Amino acid sequence: MRSGYYKQRYSELLVLTDSPAVKAWTVALLAALVAAPLLLGSFVLSYMTIILFTLVGVLGLTVLTGFTGLISLGHVGFLMLGAYAYAIGVTRLGLPPELALMLSAVVPAVCGLVVGIPSLRLHGLYLAITTLAFSHIVTASILAGGKFTGAGRGIMIERPKMFGIDLSGDRAFYCFCLVMCVLAVLVTLNFRRSYIGRALLAIRDNDIAARTMGINLVRFKLLAFLVSAALTGVAGAMMGMYLSIVSVESFPFLLSIEALAIVIVGGLGSVLGAVLGTIFIVTLPEMFSALMAVLGGRLQDLMTTSAHEIKSVLYGLAIIGFLRFDPRGLRGIWHDLRHVWVLWPLRY
Amino acid sequence: MNYFIELVVSGLAVGAIYGLVAMGFAVIYKATGIVNFAQGEMGMLTAYTTWWLATMMGTGGIATVFVAVVLGAVLGLICERLIMRPMLGEPVLSVVLVTIGLAVVLRSIVTILWGASPHKFEVAGADTIVNIAGIGIRVSQVGVIIALVLAVAGFWFFLSHSRFGVAMRAVAADEKTARLMGVSTARVQAVAWASASGLAGLAGALFAVIYGLTPNVFELGLKAFPATVLGGFDSVLGSGFSGLIIGVFENLVGGYLPSTLKEISGFVLILVVLMVRPFGLFGEKRIERV
Repeated sequence: MRSGYYKQRYSELLVLTDSPAVKAWTVALLAALVAAPLLLGSFVLSYMTIILFTLVGVLGLTVLTGFTGLISLGHVGFLMLGAYAYAIGVTRLGLPPELALMLSAVVPAVCGLVVGIPSLRLHGLYLAITTLAFSHIVTASILAGGKFTGAGRGIMIERPKMFGIDLSGDRAFYCFCLVMCVLAVLVTLNFRRSYIGRALLAIRDNDIAARTMGINLVRFKLLAFLVSAALTGVAGAMMGMYLSIVSVESFPFLLSIEALAIVIVGGLGSVLGAVLGTIFIVTLPEMFSALMAVLGGRLQDLMTTSAHEIKSVLYGLAIIGFLRFDPRGLRGIWHDLRHVWVLWPLRY
Repeated sequence: MNYFIELVVSGLAVGAIYGLVAMGFAVIYKATGIVNFAQGEMGMLTAYTTWWLATMMGTGGIATVFVAVVLGAVLGLICERLIMRPMLGEPVLSVVLVTIGLAVVLRSIVTILWGASPHKFEVAGADTIVNIAGIGIRVSQVGVIIALVLAVAGFWFFLSHSRFGVAMRAVAADEKTARLMGVSTARVQAVAWASASGLAGLAGALFAVIYGLTPNVFELGLKAFPATVLGGFDSVLGSGFSGLIIGVFENLVGGYLPSTLKEISGFVLILVVLMVRPFGLFGEKRIERV
């Protein structure tokens, strides 16, 4: 246990971590993640890839809902815009993949600004419904886009060659996702502790008080939408690359719910929570089907016939359960565990 | 011209269903300050259960409607008691997210129990076509409009003349003071959920009778959002009326413009309305006090 330790300067309050133990563990985790493709089989590896690009999207939602307190039910709209921006950039406009990836952040960000403007006048639930409307409008316009957007059939894309590295192999793609994910985590963590991030937290906790302290609501709410949409858009592009096809069906409304479930289960407004929540929710259906396979019999049949429904029931129950019994989410449980670990054998 | 009138009339029938669901949204919002995102799913579950009972017992038209309302109310009470009651006093965001969780669960339960293939909800005499002023309209469509009128009238009476309605308005106006005056918030919430879910059940069953029973009936909830937003979340009667506006508007757009626009026309309409009046057409303007 650390004691006799005082923070004396302002910058010491702002650093991401001052604990050598946390630094050491982070390095160990990163080393493990980098070594993973050499050791793991392709099934586990593709699962980890899914977790990585989901995490990027969830971080986008964390900026908006977790930091700024604006509820969005339409994040799948940004995800779709990002994926389509990338796919159209590569196949229709013939851009290099690096530029198309940039485009997949820029296009949703601009649309985020457009959605953000109503948010200045709307409160809470009205905003949630506006974002819901936005995601429906995105779906409808893509379906109406004819040849350019591929309408109902979608656009096939190949895994690109980026910065001279061929991403068509599963290992290479995993490494690409890992790099993007680490970047996204760093961006979000630093965003959170910067002046902007602290302003967003102030808006979440009490917007009138924040305003009297000189925070420009218009600018910061729009900025939150911009950053959130850009991150989500990049996640959409990564998802498109992973699936090798971008179509309206691969972005169902359930994804918005899944993202919300992750943010809630992990613990609102925390990057660590987003990471834990993503791992939990993405592996939840897999764990559950493994459990059912052990139990066997009719339950296993049910698992194979209606996998999608079981998945949704699990998400729903996870949301309800965590909000009902432990609103702090997984992050709270993590803190309790760490407390026990650090203080053992004492209780406090 | 005839085409136009036909579009308006069938729009009114759809709009009446939206209006019923939208009134349910508004009732819960007024009493508890949250939006129940599971409204459409509750309607769907009730519609399926009603259909299941009706095909088993062979009930007639009026009895089916009655069963739907009662089943819906019971479902609402169960959900309120098991899931919403423990959340009393939690932040709005958490409570709303719980209803989203509930929505996802209910939706999947329907597909697991009854499968994804569509069913025909047969009710004796519902498909008979009557002629009103030269326009053929189905009995079930007339029934829907009558149901909405009755519901609006009933709620107007309930909110302004009954003891419980007044209690509900008191809770909506100021929860703390209402509690100090001896109003039980929990009971008001229970009644709000039961009546909203009863309305949703009625709407779901009627929708299923007219358009068939599929696991997409829950989209009724999504379609009714624009109606509630247009009317203002806190205006029960306004929401019922706005349902009609949205229904007619959507049908006209679908009749004259490409069909993809029909799906989103309601949402586009509310985006425009919200930019001008952020609290809906009939809603009360929110005054912020520090």
